Amino acid sequence: MSSTVALWTSIFLGGVAQILLKRGLNERVAQASKSSLHWWLSLLTSVWIWAWGISFVVATALWLLAVSQMNISYAFPLLSASYALVALLSRIFLKEPVDWRRWGAITVICVGVVLIAGR
Amino acid sequence: MVSAVGGQEQIIPKSYAAELAVLSSVIFASGGHLLIKAGLNRALQVSAGMTLWERLGHYFVDPLVILGLGIYFLGTLLWVLAASKKSISYLYPITALNYVLVSLGGTLFFDEAIPRRHWVGILTVVFGVILMQRSASRESK
Repeated sequence: MSSTVALWTSIFLGGVAQILLKRGLNERVAQASKSSLHWWLSLLTSVWIWAWGISFVVATALWLLAVSQMNISYAFPLLSASYALVALLSRIFLKEPVDWRRWGAITVICVGVVLIAGR
Repeated sequence: MVSAVGGQEQIIPKSYAAELAVLSSVIFASGGHLLIKAGLNRALQVSAGMTLWERLGHYFVDPLVILGLGIYFLGTLLWVLAASKKSISYLYPITALNYVLVSLGGTLFFDEAIPRRHWVGILTVVFGVILMQRSASRESK
């Protein structure tokens, strides 16, 4: 696998992972349980939460694979693309309200990340 | 949920629980990264000439690396807690504060240089997070 493919797959999967997590949590918030320990344990029975965990691990492995072969100062700012991706996917799949103020704030944060990491 | 109570009237500690959790999560994750880095700095000095696998084995037994990974894991649990309380499109970009804290920690503890452009980026991320907070007025979950 080329490092560019590994990098973008990692970024995409990392964003998707957050949507999977939130999908699983939404389900568990709806069926609010008695004790908090019970709630934490109930997460382990959610397919969505497991999908999040696996995606997270695979995304991290792909990220390490990518940055071992390319400049971190190039790869790092691209990570901020996942903030926009998460907003987009959460709007489509979770029906979260993402208004222009939120898009504006995401844009500012992305610019900041690029400035921190870029050369 | 908010509409039932009427937004403004919500009790402050409850409505800021997600923000508190995400900030703690960022502090734990950054602290974890810095501890791992401190451990690696130390381990690097003795790992010269080892193969990749020997080196990895060497890193994963360093107490600071193990402590860092443990604290990072606690940060992940706090992130799950935060994500259960408010929108993911709102909370996730706030985790960019990780870059800010790790940068500040790098200069504070490891004397890493922060170029001016990098400082501008740090301030920009903080400004973006403040803007994000202001977009939370219509939050429900």
